[in-house]
Amino acid sequence: MVKHLIPNTLNEALEALSKHPYQIIGGGTDAMIQYRNHSDLSPRFKAHVMYIMNLKALQGISSNDAAIIIQSMTPLETLNSHALVPPLLRKVILEMASPALRYVATLAGNIVNASPAGDALVPLYLWDTEVVLQSHQNSRKIRLSECITGPKKTGIRADELLTQIIIPKHDESGHYYQKVGGRRADAIAKISFAGTYKINNNTLTDIRMAFGAVSATIVRQRDIENMIIGLNINDLSTKIEQLQAAYAPYIQPIDDQRSNRVYRKQVALNLIADFINHIIKEASRP
Amino acid sequence: MHKDISQSIHKLDAHARMQGKAQYVGDIDIKGMLHAITLRSPIAKGIIKAIHYPPLPSGYTIIDYRDIPGKNFVKMIFEDWKIFAEDTVEHIGEPIALIVGEDKRVLYDIHDKIICDIQPLEPLFSYQKSVIDYQFTKGNPDPVFKQAKKIIKETYETGYQEQAYIEPQGFIGYPETAEKVTLIGSVQCLYYVKNAVVSALDTHPDNVRVIQAAVGGAFGGKEEYPSLIACQLAIAIRKTQKPIKLIFEREEDMSVTTKRHPSKTTMEAAIDADNNIVGIRAKVALDGGAYIGLSGVVLSRALIAVTNAYTIKHLAVSGDVFKTNTVPNGAFRGFGAPQMIFAIEMFMHHLAKQLNQDPYSFRMQYLAKQGDQTSTSGLFRDPIIMPKMIQKATEMAQFHDKVKAYKTMPNRGIGMSYFLHGCGFTGSGESTHINAQVKLRKDDHDHVYILVAAVDMGQGAKTTLIKIVSHTLEIPIEQVHFDYPDTDDVPDSGPTVASRTAMIVGGLVNQAALEMKSLWQSKTPLEVIKRYKQPEWIVWDEKTFQGDAYPAYSWGVNIVEVEVSPITYQVNIIGIWSVYDVGKALDETIVLGQADGGTAQGVAYGYLEVMVHEQGQLKQKNMTDYIIPTAVDMAPTQTHLYDNPFALGPYGAKGAGELTLVGGAPAVAMAIEMAIKKPIKKIPATPEYIMELMHDDDH
Amino acid sequence: MMTIKFMLNGTEQTIKTDPSRRLLDVLRKDFNLKGSKEGCGEGECGACAILLDGHITNSCCLPLASVHKRSIMTIEGYAKTARFDVLSNSFAEAGAVQCGICTPGMILAAESLLNQNPAPTDAQIRIGISGNLCRCTGYNMIVKAIQSAAKRGEGLW
Repeated sequence: MVKHLIPNTLNEALEALSKHPYQIIGGGTDAMIQYRNHSDLSPRFKAHVMYIMNLKALQGISSNDAAIIIQSMTPLETLNSHALVPPLLRKVILEMASPALRYVATLAGNIVNASPAGDALVPLYLWDTEVVLQSHQNSRKIRLSECITGPKKTGIRADELLTQIIIPKHDESGHYYQKVGGRRADAIAKISFAGTYKINNNTLTDIRMAFGAVSATIVRQRDIENMIIGLNINDLSTKIEQLQAAYAPYIQPIDDQRSNRVYRKQVALNLIADFINHIIKEASRP
Repeated sequence: MHKDISQSIHKLDAHARMQGKAQYVGDIDIKGMLHAITLRSPIAKGIIKAIHYPPLPSGYTIIDYRDIPGKNFVKMIFEDWKIFAEDTVEHIGEPIALIVGEDKRVLYDIHDKIICDIQPLEPLFSYQKSVIDYQFTKGNPDPVFKQAKKIIKETYETGYQEQAYIEPQGFIGYPETAEKVTLIGSVQCLYYVKNAVVSALDTHPDNVRVIQAAVGGAFGGKEEYPSLIACQLAIAIRKTQKPIKLIFEREEDMSVTTKRHPSKTTMEAAIDADNNIVGIRAKVALDGGAYIGLSGVVLSRALIAVTNAYTIKHLAVSGDVFKTNTVPNGAFRGFGAPQMIFAIEMFMHHLAKQLNQDPYSFRMQYLAKQGDQTSTSGLFRDPIIMPKMIQKATEMAQFHDKVKAYKTMPNRGIGMSYFLHGCGFTGSGESTHINAQVKLRKDDHDHVYILVAAVDMGQGAKTTLIKIVSHTLEIPIEQVHFDYPDTDDVPDSGPTVASRTAMIVGGLVNQAALEMKSLWQSKTPLEVIKRYKQPEWIVWDEKTFQGDAYPAYSWGVNIVEVEVSPITYQVNIIGIWSVYDVGKALDETIVLGQADGGTAQGVAYGYLEVMVHEQGQLKQKNMTDYIIPTAVDMAPTQTHLYDNPFALGPYGAKGAGELTLVGGAPAVAMAIEMAIKKPIKKIPATPEYIMELMHDDDH
Repeated sequence: MMTIKFMLNGTEQTIKTDPSRRLLDVLRKDFNLKGSKEGCGEGECGACAILLDGHITNSCCLPLASVHKRSIMTIEGYAKTARFDVLSNSFAEAGAVQCGICTPGMILAAESLLNQNPAPTDAQIRIGISGNLCRCTGYNMIVKAIQSAAKRGEGLW
């Protein structure tokens, strides 16, 4: 028999997890669909189920000098209207989940679902986001990019709960985001792209780019970013083709019911160029 | 009471629907009811060797072809569409059996234990096997083509479109007596269902009763398909003598129900020395899917629409329905016209460009005028006000300024389509196939009941028919009633299809009301019946496609403005402007609502909605993957209606339901074409296709 | 089986059942509240939407367990409010109701939006109802209806 648990405290949840594995249900917007049964029948959960959406300890947003700390069950709706949340992330959330999902869906859900097309993952990768994985006795903090090990795969252990998402504070001159879906709202990405940059005295002192839905996991390559860090803004336009060539091997999209690989690859390359052109344009503003 | 009938009132069922009180079929439960689920073919084509059923728990039943009392086909036009697969399967998802019982969990458990031993055969997916072919000519096309200075030829393709009503299909039914079966369902055509079930049960018509539940969207999707599941359910009810509910879930609905036919149309124009079009040859191929169903009728409507709103003197038109081992295609708002009108509008546009002429003035020259011959050598009898409509539309959209500006401005485009839609059944269909009958009943409190089989599926039939009676009898709206029709109570006024409800059924209701008015005696019950009489001037030869295909035509102009991203190739709709002539709006807001919704479907057909199959398996099977527009995708629309009353329509009304869909696709395609400066020959014009075009330097 | 307690349309309810069941099924079957519809079953169409603490939420992907000790309002409960009267009159007048299957969810989406933003722009309205699919109307009349409700119901939200 599948056992159901609605823990009252985080401790109760972690203690239960130390004894049995549980299917964790947060907002449910992914898991309830993934394990969905026919209409009017209970979902086909294979393990015991724990419902943590309403755990008080997992709600809220705070910050310290170095980072913004998001408790894992904070609904997207809350993030969306919170001053501490980076504008880029808020922009992503608006395009990621419709209003009818936003009040229960969470960032943590997007992370543990580990979809190659997970919209929120793209900006989170840019910021070298970390996640806190807590078990009854231990807690560890790892990079998000290490937590996600493949499509639909994470390194979260059965006794662990994702409790916090830690977004390092990030100084940017600007950002760029494009989600390319089948329509303008309420769609799964065919490809998504986010970038941030920092300019000091006409020099590009930082640039970051991440791609969604073009590979098994989110693509971010610090080595390629480094190719152009330190360049004068005026030299950037000459580097576009080189950048595209450098990213090309990492952009390995698939054909599916939403799009095809040729399109996805071409658009990914276009977005690189558009991002660089965007930086040049913004930098030349008086 | 003497106010203009077009003046809008609140739709009479709006408040119940808003409160969640309207009963859709899924909302109806009957005590002691069983559920039914469907066993389906997993492969596209094969020979059924054996179906191995597991031992069934008590109270659980399998219903298959062996249980059919009558013939094993869904009575429509041809005897080809099986109720349950018998020896062969012809498409993925073809129903083999119903599994019936109380607990859905047990039903799915039984389902998963059934072993289908089916020997696969090579399925057919290309246009090879013609099952229907029609052809006709107008004028004398052969010499015209022989003498032409040049002949220009293009091919146009259109994809599937899914109706995507938000309420999936379903029925609930119960045995009224040991012999009589009652079915309540989400349907457009009560009598289609009834007649099909009578045939399947091989029983007396009195033994089948069909009642309409609230319908949560239909768009043609609930025209013929419900007959299939009604037959299956009725057979199950007869066998079990229990109430049974059969409701599709979304994925099942999308995977197995009928869609708009994919098409491929080749157009050829004979051009004379002065760059005039003197003749057109058109060849249409429709993918019919595994069974013919209504495909022949869809083909005929497509062919008749060959010259759309234009007059071309010489025509040679032919078309085929091809059988493929895919889900049968069928009725969808527009019914063949959207495919054809996309092809002809784009073709006219491309011809002008190839002849170095301005496309819009070029197309204007060929617009049909009153007195012109139709594509089938019938007559456009009534005034045609297209020039005025085009003028209005171009002003609303600032069309000409934008055309000028976008010649140099990249990535922006605007397109305009002209179109018509024939109202009612094709040719003499109304008199030979339908022969509609309506009844008005007055009780001793002077309340009047409209007894027709017309279904309000959201399009406002309830409100407009009540308005007609109320206006004609000069009694308050509250005194007129139109409830969900029940075949035990209403005569066969025909199906709720083909833009016929307002014009034909409404017309009969109006005549009945006039007669009732002349016989009116207060507090005395009275019944009036009216039967359709075809105007004598309608002469139609079904075999040669000659004569008046329709008693009247509705007309329209759509303008769509877009922006195309050169980075992502996505299309953003900036604005939609429309002008329509539907004769006379029986309720202005209702017609404008049809306009908004129809245009959204038509435009989305042109650029957004993608459905394809791979080896007979549809790849988009749910609302996540089959993309229909959200509110963010649709731009604000501006619509203008011109009165142009049709003498035989009630208060001058003509059809409005389908007209608003048929022009959307070419308008958006022309806009995209302008934005990317490459010809569009295929819809939907997806970003993937637009990318191909933009990167293809040969065009 | 678990005992779940929640506020439903202003009344506290206790129900003993499988807590993994979809709230949609529980509402329709156990409480006979059939104004919430199943359109797609996967959180895409919004026909099943209810208000969770006043926020529009799809009930087809919400397990009953998640509403334990929380507050739900369905269209049946909302239909008794003054705000509903304003919205429904605006919807009827604008022609925003066709087949009606999306309408209860659409009205609750409008409520949720106006609750957060009593004077939305047309663009904000379109975003606010972007999780509610309507196949009949093309949305324009719905946008107009919500805009007119916002004006008529000034002070209510």
